[in-house]
Amino acid sequence: MVKKRTAQETTTIGEPVTIEYPVASDDSIRRNLEQIKMEDGVIGYIMRNAVSAAIDLSDPAKMIDYALLSSSAFDASEELSSFLDLGELKSIIVETKNVKVLSLNLKDTKISVFAEKNADFNRFLKKLTS
Amino acid sequence: MDNEVYSFALKTTLSEIQNICPEIKNAFIFKEDGEIIATDPQTSENIAVRVIDAFDGIFEKADSLGDVEGITIEGAKGRILISSINELYFATIASEKAEPNYVKTVTKVLLPTIFKLLEKLDPAQQEKPVGHSLEPREHNQYPHFDNKKSLSEEPEEPEEPEEKQNAVDQMKPTFEPEVNASLPEATANQFIVENIGGLLVPSDTVRVDNDLMSNWTETYGNTKIEEVEIETFGGKTVQCKVRPIKDSKYEGKGIVQIPEKIQLLLEVKKGELIKVKPVIQ
Repeated sequence: MVKKRTAQETTTIGEPVTIEYPVASDDSIRRNLEQIKMEDGVIGYIMRNAVSAAIDLSDPAKMIDYALLSSSAFDASEELSSFLDLGELKSIIVETKNVKVLSLNLKDTKISVFAEKNADFNRFLKKLTS
Repeated sequence: MDNEVYSFALKTTLSEIQNICPEIKNAFIFKEDGEIIATDPQTSENIAVRVIDAFDGIFEKADSLGDVEGITIEGAKGRILISSINELYFATIASEKAEPNYVKTVTKVLLPTIFKLLEKLDPAQQEKPVGHSLEPREHNQYPHFDNKKSLSEEPEEPEEPEEKQNAVDQMKPTFEPEVNASLPEATANQFIVENIGGLLVPSDTVRVDNDLMSNWTETYGNTKIEEVEIETFGGKTVQCKVRPIKDSKYEGKGIVQIPEKIQLLLEVKKGELIKVKPVIQ
């Protein structure tokens, strides 16, 4: 029997975008991310693992930019972690002129939280790792 | 102010930062285009190049979101910090014992102060190239690195003050075309290994910058260079055909594209430094 996976996609011009692919098993991570998204200055998050992906961003125009930045941050950290023997990756923070990104790997799920520069990333990190 | 004095001042500053924070294992300064401005005495070219290369993707992808101002990678056994200072980037690689706020305070106070001081002493210095770049230079000024430099990641012994000046003198580029009729001896340039593959890619041909090939042709009596000799720092040597790089995204990056077969012969892989010398026939 062939299983069909359905993608629920809601896209409206000018409104936040949420893309989900079911079969996610990281309920606690999702709950934490949803709470973080309610904080001031938070633009959204990207969460992905081997079988699921979730994107929730209030700025859909830059979705691809955020996704690419998140991906390149993970790639760079994996390479350097191995080359420089940094050990298990705890977090990656990339700060640009307009946005700050916190990326980390939790239970084999790659998470990136995007927010304005003055957002409290330490609190986000504690919440996600608690 | 002389470029070498400027570079020496920055190297000394980095060395002193390590003295203040012994947990900092490596420190170097670079530009966004990959040009290395200064490194501390314990940091080899290989480490700096690999780190810059790894972050290249982040710098590129972050363009649309504003310039990168900082990157922090936190691991269980160490961390990397990249800070933007005066249009340059300062990289530190530290152990897990380093206090991040302390490191940031030292670097965000000390380095800008040094830069301001150097700028006051010679405002024109800001526009002059300082470090050795991975990009092609004008008029055959490719850097000729000291062959004694090892790819090993083991820290080098700190130099004595009188030896530092000698080291600064040795940094002067030695690759210059001769004016007289006799051809200059072929000299080797260092490059970073990059992969190349595909169905139609010959496995016995490496690719280098088109500018470099033109440079060689001009330097060696308008002789078209068909082959190069590739030497690793481990002593392995291979002679093979050479062609210019086709993909423009690799131009000016200081890389040589080497097929897997030749990489296996040389026992090298992507990201490692090797020497390339033209074969003059």
